Amino acid sequence: MKKSLLSIAILLLILTMESMAQSREVSGTVISAEDDFPLPGVNVRIKGTTRGTITDIDGSYTVSADASETLVYSYIGFLSQEVEVGDQENIDVILQTDAKTLGEVVVVGFGSVTRGDLTGNVASLKGAEIQNIPVPTFQEAIQGRMAGVFVESSSGKVGEGVKIRVRGTTSISGGNEPLYVIDGIPMNAGTGIGQSNPMADINFNDIESFEVLKDASAAAIYGARASNGVVLITTKTGAAGRTKFNVGIQRGVSSPTRRNEFLNSAQYVELMREAGYNNDLRTGIDPINNPGDYPDSDLEFVESRLDRHSGHTDWRDGSVDTDWQEQAFNPGAGVTNVNFSASGGDERTRFYFSSAYDKQDGIMIRNNFERISGRLNLDHKVSDRFNIGANFSLARTETTRLPEDNQFNNPIQLVALAPITPIRDQDGMLYDRPVATYYNNLIDSENAEWLTTSFRNISTIYGEYQFTDDLRFRSDFAVDILNQNDERFFGSRTITGQGTNGFGSSRWLRLFNYNTNNYFTYTKNFQEKHQVEAVAGMSFQRYDENFTQVDGQEFPLDALRTLASAAEITDGESTLTYNTFLSYFTRINYKYDDKYLFTFSARYDGSSRFGDNNKYGFFPAASVGWIASEEDFLKGKEGLSLLKLRASYGLTGNAEIGNFDHFGLYGPVSYGLLPGLNPTQIPNPNLTWETTAQLDIGVEFGLFSDRITGEIDYYHKDTRDLLLLVPVPGTTGFRSQRQNIGRMENYGVEVVLNSANYASQNFTWNSNFNFARNINRVRELSEDQTSIPPTSSRFLNGIFIGESIGVFYGPKYAGVDPSNGDALYYSNEELTETTNDYNEAERMVVGDPNPAFIAGINNTLTYKNFDMSFLFQGVFGNDIYEGGGGFYAANGDWFDNSTLRQFDRWQNPGDITDIPQARLGACNGCNASSRYISDGSYVRLKTLTFGYNIPSNVVERMRLNTVRIYFLAQNLLTFTNYLGWDPEVNADYLGSTTQNQNVFQGNDFYSAPQARTFSLGINVGF
Amino acid sequence: MKKIYIYLTSFSLILLSLTGCEDQLFLTPPQSVDQEIALNSDANVKRVLVGAYADLRDISVWGGRMLLYSEMLGANNEIRWEGTFNQPRELFNKSVFTNNTFITESWLVGYSAINICNNILEAINVVDEADRDRVRGEALFIRGAIYFELARFYGLPYSAGNTSSNLAVPIVLTPTREVSPEDQVARNTVEEVYQQVISDLSTAEELLPSINGFFARNYVAAAILSRVYLQMENFGEARDAADRAIALSTAQEKRLVSNYMSAFNTETDSPEDLFTIQVNTQDPGNNMHLFYSTPDFGGRDGDVTILNSHVNLYESGDERLEQFQIRAGDRRTDKWRDQFRNVKVVRLAEMYLTRAEANFREGTALGATPLEDINRIRERVSLTEKTSITLEEILMERKLELAHEGHNIHDVKRTRGSIIDNTDNSLIYSYDDARLVLPIPQRETDANPNLTQNPGYGG
Repeated sequence: MKKSLLSIAILLLILTMESMAQSREVSGTVISAEDDFPLPGVNVRIKGTTRGTITDIDGSYTVSADASETLVYSYIGFLSQEVEVGDQENIDVILQTDAKTLGEVVVVGFGSVTRGDLTGNVASLKGAEIQNIPVPTFQEAIQGRMAGVFVESSSGKVGEGVKIRVRGTTSISGGNEPLYVIDGIPMNAGTGIGQSNPMADINFNDIESFEVLKDASAAAIYGARASNGVVLITTKTGAAGRTKFNVGIQRGVSSPTRRNEFLNSAQYVELMREAGYNNDLRTGIDPINNPGDYPDSDLEFVESRLDRHSGHTDWRDGSVDTDWQEQAFNPGAGVTNVNFSASGGDERTRFYFSSAYDKQDGIMIRNNFERISGRLNLDHKVSDRFNIGANFSLARTETTRLPEDNQFNNPIQLVALAPITPIRDQDGMLYDRPVATYYNNLIDSENAEWLTTSFRNISTIYGEYQFTDDLRFRSDFAVDILNQNDERFFGSRTITGQGTNGFGSSRWLRLFNYNTNNYFTYTKNFQEKHQVEAVAGMSFQRYDENFTQVDGQEFPLDALRTLASAAEITDGESTLTYNTFLSYFTRINYKYDDKYLFTFSARYDGSSRFGDNNKYGFFPAASVGWIASEEDFLKGKEGLSLLKLRASYGLTGNAEIGNFDHFGLYGPVSYGLLPGLNPTQIPNPNLTWETTAQLDIGVEFGLFSDRITGEIDYYHKDTRDLLLLVPVPGTTGFRSQRQNIGRMENYGVEVVLNSANYASQNFTWNSNFNFARNINRVRELSEDQTSIPPTSSRFLNGIFIGESIGVFYGPKYAGVDPSNGDALYYSNEELTETTNDYNEAERMVVGDPNPAFIAGINNTLTYKNFDMSFLFQGVFGNDIYEGGGGFYAANGDWFDNSTLRQFDRWQNPGDITDIPQARLGACNGCNASSRYISDGSYVRLKTLTFGYNIPSNVVERMRLNTVRIYFLAQNLLTFTNYLGWDPEVNADYLGSTTQNQNVFQGNDFYSAPQARTFSLGINVGF
Repeated sequence: MKKIYIYLTSFSLILLSLTGCEDQLFLTPPQSVDQEIALNSDANVKRVLVGAYADLRDISVWGGRMLLYSEMLGANNEIRWEGTFNQPRELFNKSVFTNNTFITESWLVGYSAINICNNILEAINVVDEADRDRVRGEALFIRGAIYFELARFYGLPYSAGNTSSNLAVPIVLTPTREVSPEDQVARNTVEEVYQQVISDLSTAEELLPSINGFFARNYVAAAILSRVYLQMENFGEARDAADRAIALSTAQEKRLVSNYMSAFNTETDSPEDLFTIQVNTQDPGNNMHLFYSTPDFGGRDGDVTILNSHVNLYESGDERLEQFQIRAGDRRTDKWRDQFRNVKVVRLAEMYLTRAEANFREGTALGATPLEDINRIRERVSLTEKTSITLEEILMERKLELAHEGHNIHDVKRTRGSIIDNTDNSLIYSYDDARLVLPIPQRETDANPNLTQNPGYGG
């Protein structure tokens, strides 16, 4: 495959050597009518072809064209102009600003506005910018491209969870993911079996644009579900004209971004023997110098374990040195993508059709992802007044899954095995315990199977009726159906199926989510200066989820893997759950004299999730904008093309809690195969929405004919009535009650800068920079509650008033006592005293998993037919806690293999090191403390692309429209001081409840590193 | 005119759809019922009683962990914890953190069971009269048994004295239907909790029948009651209760099985089992199996190793040595070998040992002489009969007979023994050492400021 791509590339290169067609050179300058400055970057295209150029930094251009051809000059924010070439050699053009469209069209809830008219904060991204990025979900592809949108993949396992935070974390016990709305329907973004990510069902090459509604003004129209921001996804539509086809093929190879270094056999043997011998010396015996002490010594124990872990080999001769880490990685990791689309139509009917095949062979063994998807979007004009349309999409996703990070059969856990252990025995069978220190999960590769298959249909139909020129009514109905099946089989040799002659599980999930929106839109201009647009309507959504699970064991053969073969069905259940939302919404935009903007929006939301006393919530927001550059005193000011000030304030809600949290309930249990009932929940009939009040003040500017544009925003989000799971005394028989109590703040700044650094005939260079700083503070919990301390003794995350959510709280590691090798901890807050007793250590805040700021910078360069872009993305100021450190970074505490750094352990009095003396089983510094925290900041060369567009005359000769070949590198370089695998990490098993998901951040527990992918691709348009 | 008609139609259509939607905002959960329904009939209250057993069998109570705690705290260099779970390791190292999730769960599930029992006792009058005594007896049994476990783990031992000032756990005897500030209860004293336990278990013994499936029976209540009195060093009552348990249970065909190891890993309860927690593939929780067994029998990696110092305690020829087998690379006990087996909570052998010890201490021979009872135990494992007996021998017989079954630390505490540290042999924990008492879980002291922390835990 790679070879054939290469030969295509070479062939195409040769073709370009051929001479250009006969035509003459036309040149000229393009000037802005607004300020009479030259306009760089204007697109100068020959009508009806793909030939053309763009203006350079002085606004000048040269292009070859025939006399019969027409040049089209277009630039964002300006009206396009067409000029017939005729016999002209010099064509100067003055472009008029487009008064209506100061910029691009931005999709907002239930409508769209031009960016110039926007008074809220909306980040947008065109689908084209992330096309072809070789990742399974668009969530990963948008990382680093939008200000204030934090994206984090939990690990390098494909098709798993991606955390997105828009302007920080607003909730402690409720959900914090944004609301995703695709073509008008709030979609299921989080519910799937296990750790599967339902977003992976979306082929993002079909997406026209992403808009993230960040402030209250933009988001309030989504009311009770808008506190965490709203991501609007709009799929592509066809344009009238010739049918355009596009075919793309991409193929690439992947490998882990980073590896961790572990001890080799000789080092391992040295460390383990030393750990045992140190224990002996401490109890006053010396088995090395006094052989009589050897029996029953710890050294004897260590050596007997080394014998055991060597299997048929001998650790003394150093013949075996197994690199277990390497065994966890898939040497054949890579991506394959094939996509096809067709779009076109006539004045009455337009269509967009696509199908795609995506395959990702994950970097971990046993972890692959495959998606086949198709889409048809149709729009039809029934009459001048009546439009109808439908978007229909279907995808099948197959993922071979891995267990959660804490399971012995998580491939990375192989690093715990000793390097002296051979992989296989003399008969070629994989070694397992007791020879292997822990379960050798390579057995899973031979003796287990785990496949999740999803069928996803997201479809919308709509009708729109234009009553008058001013008033129209739109009604849509959409469904989002997920049908997911998870089949697991673990054979008789696996850790899961070992005692029971195999274990199998079959799970089915059906999720039916439908939504209807019905609204009027009224637009009117009064007396030239007053422009009004008003939207009002309602929506209703219902969401039903059916789940069935059957588990069985005792299989006659490992080859018989469906539950039909299980002699014993051990567990079975089916569950049903549902929720509804009924909402009324409105938005009024008013613009006066193209200078003064005003927006009011509101939503009145009701949901089945809330108590009978508080079914409905009201979420209003208002915003104002002032286009100062339209004022006489600034108009035409040299260099200043746009200056807009805006401010917004409003309320949004969060309803991301359980479906029935307000009831007092008894649920089913069984004992001895008899049915029983157990109290499960205390009632709270007053339960209602969590409310976020958000203030946003922003300025937008354009300089030097918009060569530099930007946006700076300050925001402050104040979240009250937190949907807090308040711990109640366990003596009541309950654990917690969902209450509306507590307060959390997020505030910060966002900066967006776009710059056309250079533009000439042959060379352009554009940069987009975004930066966001968010400060999160927990302000209030329930009455008298000052903290929710760490609930785990392995991990340190807790909640403390005045701190960010999920800060690391625990003993502060003070290094090693140079005199005796003891691990030390600070025993007072002033950090002046230390102790070697972990229980005496002072507990304090020792780290923060929340980044201080995030940033991204994307550069796009073109030179003639070549293009190149590179995106650097960074996360700064966050800490990561290595939960596995207590096993692999514990200076030989037990027989787990250790990281290479552990070899710097203290050995002799006077040694200065931060790795304590090796003592077997004595936990000398192995407890959870700041010892396992390291700086998680990183900068990543996220995406690097080199492309080449085959010249149009060559392409046209092949009866094609465009041909682009490209090389793409994803996660090419990572710069970080993090001590573990990859700094973009969050152990996946800690989020068993929503609150745990929110609190347990920044943890690594044998989590897979991210994938680095190199790929080659070709896109052909005809 | 036509336009107006269209407007009206669409508006009314919307309004129509809205009235339908409004009802949709009131949905009830499909997997649960309202608390009022659960307690409103004879049949439903009996279902709730099964729910109380479901808490009792939770892995964090009698589903294994309370037995495991006793063995970890009492390790005494006779066993070694080698597992990766840090919660049992903390107990093994006598360095338990207040946020240890195991001990937090045990507290929470224990009180959940108590709350269910309180609900049943309050609703007892809706139970059919014919069954009312039994239902009430079972609820009292579960409540009493759990208070006993909580008191001896979370409070200083009874033998430490000062029982009227040392704190055990809060006594809650009323059901929780809503949360209020009154729920911030303080801890009761060791004496108060023991008296409550005696009251609950004695009443239960009176009310319960001697045939009741695998649920509580009168001799089970008597057996637990004998443990309570033994812990209080009230040997007369302990002897009487053990004797009643023996008499009532042997009348129901309970007996010692002839081969020691066939008392364990049985498919169903053996004749020797007075009370077990029912485990099956549907309700698989047995944490003693999980941690003590080995991968080839569906356990973890063999997290508990049996050391020489323990094995050396047995006389040669003792059939109980058969339990020790090399599995997963080291020596294990086979008492918890097989998966999906019931958790043995009370074996008849314990009652003979209790009666022997109590008779001996009291100088009596109720039911049998101490020598007869001890020889009954020894004979079964092919040891020579003794002709005379000392208290030390009785206690050693008890230790070996009941080893690895969750009795260890409680016997050490009541006999005022001590425990050697696992790594530092010079470090000895006396029976009343604060480190042998579990801390009050941190989430409890956070949620309830009226709870005093145990000494040594930063309280």
